[in-house]
Amino acid sequence: MLRAGALLAVGGSTGPLAGCDLFDGDEPAPPPDPLESLADESRELAARHRAAIAADPSLADWLAPIAEAHAAHATEIRRLIGRPEPSGATPTGTTPTATPGDRAALLAALREAEQRGRQSAAKACVAAPGERAALLGSVAAARATHVEALA
Amino acid sequence: MSRRLAPADARQALADALSAEYAAIYAYGPIGVQLSDAERRAARSAEAAHRARRDALVLQLSGDGGQLPADRAGYALPFPVTDRAGALRLAVEIEERTGAFWRAALPVTSGAERTRALNALTDCAVRATRWRRAARVTPVTVAFPGRPR
Repeated sequence: MLRAGALLAVGGSTGPLAGCDLFDGDEPAPPPDPLESLADESRELAARHRAAIAADPSLADWLAPIAEAHAAHATEIRRLIGRPEPSGATPTGTTPTATPGDRAALLAALREAEQRGRQSAAKACVAAPGERAALLGSVAAARATHVEALA
Repeated sequence: MSRRLAPADARQALADALSAEYAAIYAYGPIGVQLSDAERRAARSAEAAHRARRDALVLQLSGDGGQLPADRAGYALPFPVTDRAGALRLAVEIEERTGAFWRAALPVTSGAERTRALNALTDCAVRATRWRRAARVTPVTVAFPGRPR
């Protein structure tokens, strides 16, 4: 499951080796749930906001509630698909970092990430079976409000 | 205002959403009166957005040949609106409430119909965020827009 998860999480860090692993592996991994990557995306968005706070602590009041919302999304999505959050490493294998100094650039990068996240959550919502649609709709709408809140 | 958040089917969900849109349009009347300039313009544009959703729903639901929920002459507001602070508070509440009805439509719709419901939920959530910011409510966002609390 971890291998499949790593393959799914489209980070540059996984590379072709993960693919070889998947096909050569002797333990068949359970098929990944399509929502695992969305849960990973929530964790990654949370980490991005935390990195921005680390780079510019004056953003904490503004960004901490957004980071918490993403973390709550990851937990709820994982509960929905019945796969608990893997402990430890960040899903993509890379910890987002942010460079201190340029507040406007930090916020612009977060807005862009939220906008992309909004699109992927909306897509997942429309593709999902009915019993998953309400949570995914809230996730997509929340990400849209983050774009607004960061403006 | 009936509050049925687990509709049995798409038609019921969209009829509920239509009733919520009627109530939202009504509420923006007393809201706008208490606001000035930029905020009043924002209230007008919010009201126009709710009217557009209402019109689309009326068209869609009457095309099916079924019964439409009727608009009423007036709706009970959750509290009297006598000043700007109350108006902003009601605007937040109206958007949250209307968004909840659209969210309830998601599980019982699919395809383009679900996309429309999601867009409506998202628009309500974004407007609620703008009104919270105008009212200096923090945080300006909620984690799960439309989810019953």
